[in-house]
Amino acid sequence: MTAETLIPVPTGQRAEREERRRSRRGYRGTGPKQSPVSRAVAMTVMVVFTLYTLIPLWWLVVASSKSRGQLLTTNGLWFADFNLFKNIGDMLAYGDGIFGRWMLNSILYAGVGGFLATLLAGMCGYALAKYRFRGRETLFNVVLGGVLVPATALALPLFLLFSKVQLTDTIWAVLLPSIVSPFGVYLSRIFAAASVPDELMEAARLDGSGELRTFFTIAVRLMTPALVTVFLFQFVAIWNNFFLPLIMLRSTELFPVTFGLYTWNTQINQVPELRTFVLSGAFLSIIPLVVTFLLLQRYWRNGLGSGSLK
Amino acid sequence: MTATSATARAEAPARPPRRRIRTPHKRAIIALVAPFLVLFALFYALPVAYAVWESLLVVQRDGTFGPATEVFGGLQQYALVFQDQAFWGSVGRVLLFGVVQVPVMLGLALVFALLLDSPLVKGKRFFRLAYFVPYAVPGVIAAIMWGFLFSPNLSPFAALTKAVPFLGADLVLWSIANVVTWVYVGYNMLIIYSALLAVPQEIYEAARLDGAGQFRMAWSIKIPIVRPAILMTAVFSIIGTLQLLAEPQVFASFSSAVTSTYTPNMTIYATSSLPNYNLAAAFSVVLALATFILSFTFLKVTQRKGQDA
Amino acid sequence: MRYPKRIAAIAALAVSATVALAGCSSSSSGSGDTAAACAPTKGKVTLDFTTWVPGMADVVKLWNDKNPDIQVKVQEGPNGNNGTYKNFFNEVKAGNAPDLGQVEYDALPNFRVQNALADLSACSAVVKAKSDFVDWTWNQVSLGSDKSVYGIPQDSGPMALFYRKDLFEKNGIAVPKTWDEYKEAAKKIRALGGYITNFSQTDINQFAGFVWQAGGQWFANDGKDWTVDLTSSESTKVADYWNGLIKDGLVSTVPAWTDEWNNAYNSGQAWTWNSAVWGANSISSGAPDTAGDWAVAPSPQWSAGDDAAGNWGGSSVVSFTGSKHLYEATKFALWLNTSDEALTALNKAANLYPATKKGLKLPALQQGVDFYGGQKIYDVFAQASSQVKPDFTWGPTMTQTYADVSDGFKGAVSGSGTLTDALKSAQESTIKALKAQSIPVKG
Repeated sequence: MTAETLIPVPTGQRAEREERRRSRRGYRGTGPKQSPVSRAVAMTVMVVFTLYTLIPLWWLVVASSKSRGQLLTTNGLWFADFNLFKNIGDMLAYGDGIFGRWMLNSILYAGVGGFLATLLAGMCGYALAKYRFRGRETLFNVVLGGVLVPATALALPLFLLFSKVQLTDTIWAVLLPSIVSPFGVYLSRIFAAASVPDELMEAARLDGSGELRTFFTIAVRLMTPALVTVFLFQFVAIWNNFFLPLIMLRSTELFPVTFGLYTWNTQINQVPELRTFVLSGAFLSIIPLVVTFLLLQRYWRNGLGSGSLK
Repeated sequence: MTATSATARAEAPARPPRRRIRTPHKRAIIALVAPFLVLFALFYALPVAYAVWESLLVVQRDGTFGPATEVFGGLQQYALVFQDQAFWGSVGRVLLFGVVQVPVMLGLALVFALLLDSPLVKGKRFFRLAYFVPYAVPGVIAAIMWGFLFSPNLSPFAALTKAVPFLGADLVLWSIANVVTWVYVGYNMLIIYSALLAVPQEIYEAARLDGAGQFRMAWSIKIPIVRPAILMTAVFSIIGTLQLLAEPQVFASFSSAVTSTYTPNMTIYATSSLPNYNLAAAFSVVLALATFILSFTFLKVTQRKGQDA
Repeated sequence: MRYPKRIAAIAALAVSATVALAGCSSSSSGSGDTAAACAPTKGKVTLDFTTWVPGMADVVKLWNDKNPDIQVKVQEGPNGNNGTYKNFFNEVKAGNAPDLGQVEYDALPNFRVQNALADLSACSAVVKAKSDFVDWTWNQVSLGSDKSVYGIPQDSGPMALFYRKDLFEKNGIAVPKTWDEYKEAAKKIRALGGYITNFSQTDINQFAGFVWQAGGQWFANDGKDWTVDLTSSESTKVADYWNGLIKDGLVSTVPAWTDEWNNAYNSGQAWTWNSAVWGANSISSGAPDTAGDWAVAPSPQWSAGDDAAGNWGGSSVVSFTGSKHLYEATKFALWLNTSDEALTALNKAANLYPATKKGLKLPALQQGVDFYGGQKIYDVFAQASSQVKPDFTWGPTMTQTYADVSDGFKGAVSGSGTLTDALKSAQESTIKALKAQSIPVKG
């Protein structure tokens, strides 16, 4: 029983025009004018917290631009000599350009893995939300059970499993387990329940659409904010995961970038210039994540549900 | 969760146990669920079963360097787990951590999501990105960064960090809480925010026509609607808290107050590095059970009649 | 129950799958001691070598260029205690361990107890090489056996005293030759506002090096049982000494290997560092502003006129059980760890200090070092290397022992208990850890 059923929704072309009008102006509905005081309070709260979130990042940018000696001796929050491009250049050249290779690996693992994870989780969450079948709740709870076990306990069994099929030290060893996202299933279930009305599915059935077709053509559109969220989080999780590469990978050419940085970080005592490389590397590796976020932001639009009922 | 299962049970006939119930759209359900399920079984269920099996084994040796064999040992490993005071101390520690940090973090996430969803805030795209970025920073880097910021001598806020021992025994747990909050507020905020985005605008029409202001709408409409999302983030935050590992581990390298068994998962990690797989597996099972009991209790307590999960 | 059949089917599937998975973990039972035959393989051989020594690939290239029939592929990863040791154990269990691996001396007994190491004494070349190595390093890899040897020593970490020559001279403080003199110097330096050194609560292998110098033994293995003795008289002597320095506020207790710690040396807050030969690089990179101000002296002694040294670090190259190309693997490992060209390259790439007698005389190690005012610092370390006591034994669960001692030291530094208390409680927990793995131990 969702909230939409309580309120009559406008249908057809009128609804679509209304939707377009609203989204064009960032329109949020008529209503009492917002008081400047509450607006100011709201903005202040947001800005203060933004400072909190961004200050450590600012530190990263500043630290990436310093030479090793200056890291310790100059103020952490402002630049000294600006060496950012030199540091990045040195880092990209180190180890025969292995960093570039690592970035490509990460894009592969996170992009393909994130996409497939979202697909699988979306399908499963949708089925759990919109269909009733035996063992549905049991299944749901079993999926939760998988998340309860600490990942460190799974290291050896996973390694043995992949050893048995001789897939350790391959891209599959990182890609396959990354495709499983129990959290994605949970998220998809909640969103599917809230944003895909049963009536819509009925209407599609009456129109002769198969269940899978309904899912891929209608439900996915409605669940877009959720699926985008799942993809984004899974993308970042795979990008930053170093547990799986640690237990599965041996060849440096297969490392994702975060694991590569982790390895460099452990060699700092012997190769001191790695300190600056770790920092500049971390700075560079955040950029694709930010770019992905920016590209996907536009899918976070609201109210795609209305107007689809013909 | 129980509401939907209640309706599911109400639909199927209770009496004749052998009558085959026709599940509508069976093939579609299987097609949608199977891909995830197969991989889940391979990469989660199977390893978990293996870990449970390992926890029931005991190692026997022949001499100081003699070869080892694993034999069935029943609950011997579990006996060791229950005798381990440091482990239970660490469980208490993360529970205390969770009781404070999770509500604070989710409270903040909710407030920011609501603010972002309201017309009070301009520049939504910028804020969404800004709050997301901490999650994008790899854990090792985030911890180095915060270690630097908390450092008594090197922090740009050295006046503050010298006066207040953020890395000392009394406060280090909350310093770690600060880092965890920093990383995950934006993450949880975006989940709740996406849930808010899924709400059709028409719902607010009636409320606006009644003259409800932003606060009233948030309190009476938005929060109840995104309740399932909030509960879900709460459950996963609880699970994450009990499995805290990465942040305390990095803090251990620059704080004298963080020991190698500071959190239960650190104990598991240390034990499996020995390597004592069997004992580590037993610790994992116990921790998983504790997490399960906690999550289950939480969900039961927050269930209300007629609420869809 | 409504679906007994289905649940039973799923359960059966789970159990059989688990058993199948368990079956592929070869818990090494049976004859772990028979040395694998060391015969050359016909045809081309490719060896996998997992290490964390930076720049190893360049060193290995020197070999690959000259040995087309024995090609070595280097696999780099994080250092041993940061994940690679765990990987080794997993791989041995799965049966796909690399041909060669890097293992530090203090981890060798652990690997031996897990039956992960191949006995290299089957290879005559290895047995012949014994006399090439500094004696105590060979003891580190033979683990108490007269016949067997489980690794080829690669580098060593003899300890000496790095000190701020300029500050000592400026303030008229003599370089301490005994630990008593060290304490006196500490008081003087404290009065001037500095600290003689920083006491690390996480470098327990450094502390073990102190105990090593004092002649103490933490572990003993008589073939039947292990003995754990963290509280022996020498060990307690060392612990009480440093405890005194800490309680009197004569040493700082900043966590080691942090920015804070680097800063302490860079800003002249800490005046000395009791460290191993590889520490020379750590100081020059962590405290760049102090270039030219440092010098190296032999470690302080417990009694005037003694000449004992401790060791901190050092690793060996091992071959794991089940290795199929023992002959080729040991041939390469011997080249890597004894040949002049490889040792020079290793020293250049990763600042490694050789474990061979000849290696100590490499031309690269006869130069003065600018950072240390042009002093030929390696002469001090070469002498220290000859003064390291030959039979220090490591325990089979050193990660646990280190962690427990470190936890206790952290507590002591924060005010609860003494270093000796920490050793006592680590003693108990180590015995417990050994028993939990069914390793025979006294007590």
